Amino acid sequence: MTRRTGGDWIGREVLEVEGLRVHFETLDGSVEALNSVDLRVDEGQIMGLVGESGCGKSVTSLVSIGLATCEVDEGSVRYQGEELLFRDNPSNILVQQISERITAFGVMAAIFSFFATILVEPKFFSSVFLLFLSITSVSWLVGFWSKSESRKHQRYMRWVRGNEISMIFQEPMSALNPLYKVSKQISEVMKEHDRLVEAETPRIERIGSALVSPFSIIRGAFSTKPRQSSVALAALLFVYAAQLSGEVTAGPLGGLSKDHILDWFSAPITLFADLSSWILAIGTVMAGLELSSLLDDSYDLTYGLFVIIIENIVVVGGIGSIYGYGKFAGASRISNLSLYIPHAIAAYLAVFLMIWMPLSGLSAILVICALLATPFIIWADFLRLDPAHIRQVEGILDDVRIPDPKSVANMYPHELSGGMRQRVMIGMMMACEPKLLIADEPTTALDVTIQAQILNLMKVLRDDKGTAILLITHDLGVIAEMCDDVTVMYAGRVVERASVREIFSNPLHAYTRGLIACTPSLDSERGSVLPAIPGQVANPSDFVSGCRFCQRMDREGETLDNRPEFLEASEGHWVESCPICLDESQDRWV
Amino acid sequence: MPDKPLIEIRGMKKWFPIKEGMLASVRSYVRAVDGVNLEINRGETLGVVGESGCGKTTLGRVLMGLIPITEGSVIYSGSDIREIPNKEIRRKMQIVFQDPGGSMNPRISVRSIVGEPLQVNGICEGVELTRKVEELLEAVGLKAEHMTRFPHEFSGGQKQRIALARALSLDPEFILLDEPTSALDVSVQAQVLNLLEKIQKERGLTFVFISHDLAVVRHISDRIAVMYLGKVVELADSDEIYRNPLHAYTKALIAAIPSPDPDARSDQPPVEGDVPSPVDPPPGCAFGHRLQHPDWEKSTKMDLSLREVSPGHWVQPCPCCTDQYDGDGGESPEQDVADGLPEWVRGE
Repeated sequence: MTRRTGGDWIGREVLEVEGLRVHFETLDGSVEALNSVDLRVDEGQIMGLVGESGCGKSVTSLVSIGLATCEVDEGSVRYQGEELLFRDNPSNILVQQISERITAFGVMAAIFSFFATILVEPKFFSSVFLLFLSITSVSWLVGFWSKSESRKHQRYMRWVRGNEISMIFQEPMSALNPLYKVSKQISEVMKEHDRLVEAETPRIERIGSALVSPFSIIRGAFSTKPRQSSVALAALLFVYAAQLSGEVTAGPLGGLSKDHILDWFSAPITLFADLSSWILAIGTVMAGLELSSLLDDSYDLTYGLFVIIIENIVVVGGIGSIYGYGKFAGASRISNLSLYIPHAIAAYLAVFLMIWMPLSGLSAILVICALLATPFIIWADFLRLDPAHIRQVEGILDDVRIPDPKSVANMYPHELSGGMRQRVMIGMMMACEPKLLIADEPTTALDVTIQAQILNLMKVLRDDKGTAILLITHDLGVIAEMCDDVTVMYAGRVVERASVREIFSNPLHAYTRGLIACTPSLDSERGSVLPAIPGQVANPSDFVSGCRFCQRMDREGETLDNRPEFLEASEGHWVESCPICLDESQDRWV
Repeated sequence: MPDKPLIEIRGMKKWFPIKEGMLASVRSYVRAVDGVNLEINRGETLGVVGESGCGKTTLGRVLMGLIPITEGSVIYSGSDIREIPNKEIRRKMQIVFQDPGGSMNPRISVRSIVGEPLQVNGICEGVELTRKVEELLEAVGLKAEHMTRFPHEFSGGQKQRIALARALSLDPEFILLDEPTSALDVSVQAQVLNLLEKIQKERGLTFVFISHDLAVVRHISDRIAVMYLGKVVELADSDEIYRNPLHAYTKALIAAIPSPDPDARSDQPPVEGDVPSPVDPPPGCAFGHRLQHPDWEKSTKMDLSLREVSPGHWVQPCPCCTDQYDGDGGESPEQDVADGLPEWVRGE
């Protein structure tokens, strides 16, 4: 996959980072995370950014899209020539600081004088109160006005993010919202950037359909679950019939009243109540209390015990054994029926209560429930996505090679596997057809086979849409497979930059050589000692000003004092020219 | 080759019940490990590879006796693992987990973390313990002064070294390494792999190394078992498995490894799809089902137990993924299968 030879996009850069230097304010003082980082991504190019954890790869990308919480000291980030970093001019910052303090003071003073109006002297303090109030509002307005530039820039960044530059994060699970369906999350991005197609149903029609939606829900219930709906309807009709049944005088049902029906209904409940009283009685006997009073009723007691034991065996044993095996035991008809036992009990209790209460009460409850539910039903109908938008989302899912996009669009993130989640994430990020995609270790958490699928997908998207990709990873295998150009970062600095072939065939910097050497490959001798770079990246607060790789290798001398120059060794191959690191014979792997 | 294997796994099955409903009735089973036979020789490293959800970790945990086995048995140097007292097993078999940070108590110092097994087993105390912990830390490339620090003060690679020191503390015969390097950077991974090899050589340990990265597994293992959906589909010497992979799944795993050589980019499309759910696994060869191979139907009616095709090279003889099967019905299998193989397998 080498499309770079055409060269039609070379020279048109999408993202250009120049001399970026940032620091984080921490409790231990300021820590410089990046030290003059230069990076360039051209249109349609896949640029690899490689280095270990703590080398500042992610910080670079986050600063570029304005998501990092660090202070930028100098440097610039340009997207198609437009500056993305915002620096307010010093006078504005001064105005903001002063206005903030005056506002805070004014609010406090206004509160005090308000209480003084009540407690001390109304006339004088009410004028003081008004004075402070006006001071507060004026200074707040001044502050608001002085921030207008930065607000404008924030709006611009909001437009850039997602629309022009988007980012895939390492953990697809924490980047997706577990509470919303995939379709909702993807369409949200598109809505934010006005990318949704026009809704299929006009607005007026949606309002109309929302208003009749309670009825359509009932109709839908009958069409999708006819049996359950009919049973529920029959139960409701039976309840109303029972409520009105006192009037019947003739025919086979003559003399039937609501009380009779209630009696039939309550028979099992009465039995249950009897059972529990027996159990209580036995409990008392076992506790050795009131023995004498129970002696006369010994017949009843024995009978009760017998009933309880039988009931227990039948009910608990029977239901338990049927229920216990469920479908797994061989799916007999009875075992399937047993699944409905809890539902049946609940339905029985509901019907009993509905007959038991007076008709007026029942009607009132039903009416109130309906009134309360209707607005929510209508609201829920409004929240539903338009069919046209759902189709659009399905198209995006189809673009990222998700099988069966229709059902996936309707799923929640936890229902998807890791690879599928990452695909959804990529789909979401590609929804607005950005010019640049920043992929921050997109495959680190995935299996090799899924990694291959995702990388392949990203390559195909690049070829189809010409999206430039900034691929951040620590795996040189991924770099070799994917990238056109590579930038190697070490300890907050770029140490080498070249085309991917050049990096692998002629690595100049010792760090690059070390990274290549320590990657286990299938061709390497089995059981041999892997060359590994000793130690680890130094803590950012301990960075020296000179060559930081020499620092890691415990070298001494003047290379640690002055930063080696970043030079072009051959055409397009830039390297940080520390004399020791450039010398291959000085490499010491363990 | 030693006379008797250290560990024998015979027909190991681990099915996790899925419970549902009021009375927690068992609905169905997750067949995490579904009939695995393996032998682990003394002093060797057995690599286990496969994607997530293939049952690698479950295999390891059942092997260690951490979770009870459903069917089959694990024989540790001649006796069933269920019959050996728990304390004795723990002294002989140890484990290093994938997430080094998650497997350590953040509230206790490194001395307590590494020394706890020694204390629990009543091996040493006090000054003796400190000296022993010092030795262990030095063996894994840390310094004695690290003893008083807490886990959060270390980087990922160092934490993994501490976990290894803890596993070594009781001087075990066997260590299970459950993806010990997948959370680490490549350079640190190389350091840890070197350390593991060094320690194995020094102490004559037996390792089972679980990973999804075939390149790493091949580097460290003597033999490799490739697992797919709870079953071992191929088992061979690690050089043999790379030179001459027979099962399509092994080939897919090898093809998926990104090679660190820009001139060797593969243009073959990667294998599609995910590992199916082990709740309701397809009958027959599961990987053939994933490939939607035309010959998959045949494999459902066959005995798919491993077959030795050359000395030490075992493979699951299914018609869809290998050409190593009898061809019941008298067809000529080789030709048939070569035509049916998907393009990315046939390439090269």
